[in-house]
Amino acid sequence: MSGFTTFLGKELTEIRKTWRIWVIPGMLIFFAITSPIIAQVTPALLGSISKSQPGMVVKIPPPTWRDSYAQYLKSLSQMVLIAVVITGAGAVSGERSSGTAVLTLTKPVSRAGFVLAKILSQAGLLIVATVLSTAVCAALTIGIFGSAPLEPLFTAVAIWTVDALLLIVVMTLFSAGFASRGASAGAGLGFFFLTLLISIWPVASRYSFVGLMSASGRALGPQPVDALWPVVTALVAAVLCAWAAVKVFERQEL
Amino acid sequence: MTDAPAIEITRLVKKFGDAVALDGIELAVPRGSVFGFLGPNGAGKTTALRILTGLARPTSGEARILGADVSTAGNDVRSQIGYLPDVPGFYPWMTAVELVEYAGRLFGIGPATVRERAESLLEMAGLSDVRTKVGGFSRGMKQRLGIAQALINAPSVLLLDEPTSALDPIGRREVLEMIASLRGRTTVFFSTHILADVERVCDTVAILDRGRVVANAPIAELKRRAAVDRLVIEVDGDVAMLISNLEGRPWLRSIERGEGVITLAVSDLKLAQRELPAAIAATGLGLKRLEGAEVSLEDMFVALVRRAEQ
Repeated sequence: MSGFTTFLGKELTEIRKTWRIWVIPGMLIFFAITSPIIAQVTPALLGSISKSQPGMVVKIPPPTWRDSYAQYLKSLSQMVLIAVVITGAGAVSGERSSGTAVLTLTKPVSRAGFVLAKILSQAGLLIVATVLSTAVCAALTIGIFGSAPLEPLFTAVAIWTVDALLLIVVMTLFSAGFASRGASAGAGLGFFFLTLLISIWPVASRYSFVGLMSASGRALGPQPVDALWPVVTALVAAVLCAWAAVKVFERQEL
Repeated sequence: MTDAPAIEITRLVKKFGDAVALDGIELAVPRGSVFGFLGPNGAGKTTALRILTGLARPTSGEARILGADVSTAGNDVRSQIGYLPDVPGFYPWMTAVELVEYAGRLFGIGPATVRERAESLLEMAGLSDVRTKVGGFSRGMKQRLGIAQALINAPSVLLLDEPTSALDPIGRREVLEMIASLRGRTTVFFSTHILADVERVCDTVAILDRGRVVANAPIAELKRRAAVDRLVIEVDGDVAMLISNLEGRPWLRSIERGEGVITLAVSDLKLAQRELPAAIAATGLGLKRLEGAEVSLEDMFVALVRRAEQ
């Protein structure tokens, strides 16, 4: 077993044995369970509020599978992505500040291998948890609303996953570049909100990765969505950020 | 195996901005030796070790381990060294055995061999019965665990940064015995400011002060060089009079007082030898003995560092 695979194995074991197993997977499962329920009860809740206000009439259409999926996707696009930023902030900087990077990097493990194992382990956790939670969300939606097409959900979540994977790589870059977890988390949140802001510009949204979030939302609509440019640019950006993270970390003294 | 030194440092300079941490140090550590790297805090010992392990880059100069330049050799060198940092960092969720086995697997050692070595190394480190997570370990336990993981690959070169600083006397003795037992098989390069440890196990010592090597020789030779700078005087009366007579003389560095005996550390032996008989005669005391004394490593260390400062 090479140093790289051993370190990757350590990363996966660490996810399983520490708080990391609960954060992203826990949030995803929580939102997968609560989204269909919230979509189902929200009209009834709003209706009861309007009844208590004399003269106020609120007409809400009956909830559908689309509301359930939209609620799930909204939670992924906000809470889960912020959790990705916060947890990813310590990926490299945490190992550096605790001295464990020295333990590993004085053995036959390259810095490139170290960074890539960090990215792969986080990406693996996200993908597995997303697949499981999306399956739970789909099953509950069908259970509550009778029937629901799966393709819109899977397309929307697949586009969202590309966005989340890019964020993981960007956070690894920030974590390699900044000395502290706080600084890299701050930079990550700045990046997250900046991409949201830029996505308001239609050209940027159509031709770059900043349009991933709106593309994933559109995937739930009746029209087919074209997300080729955002997906391709996101993958290119992820590769460039991974390369930059390796170079930044290789230049650092520990 | 070639006769080239296990560790060879040539004109090594390390600067942090304007601060010079290492100022052109030169060292050669023979294969199989136990080499003490002595120096006061801030002398540059840890910086030198970080460069040797590839964790830091030199500003100029070169460091070689087993003939390979550490800044370019990568895994080739790392697979042959064991390293214990001054403050070892471990994954708190691992147990001691998990950590040592993890370290072994990083070297590509097979599972059966790793298990066997981990068992015996943890036995040596006194941690074989400890089942708690590393996060709950004391500093001394972490240091012993650090030594165990540094030996998992049976390294050709073992780099230890202050390996005994957090250990109790028994732990320290055990670690020093372990280091001494490696002589001839493994080159041990260990930094410390604990002179007794160096005196106990090292063949050769380098003394580093403010980034410069102020001495580099076998301990016996360094002591021989310094021995003439220490004089023992025995007189047949109260030594207080003699002490007050000698105090303030430019060649006198320190006086240790005993029963009828004083030991002088002197900076100019010839001048001291000229002035001492007259000084003793002036006090009216009878001279019973005047001779050179063996210098302790501590005296030698203080003398060399002070000399470098001047």
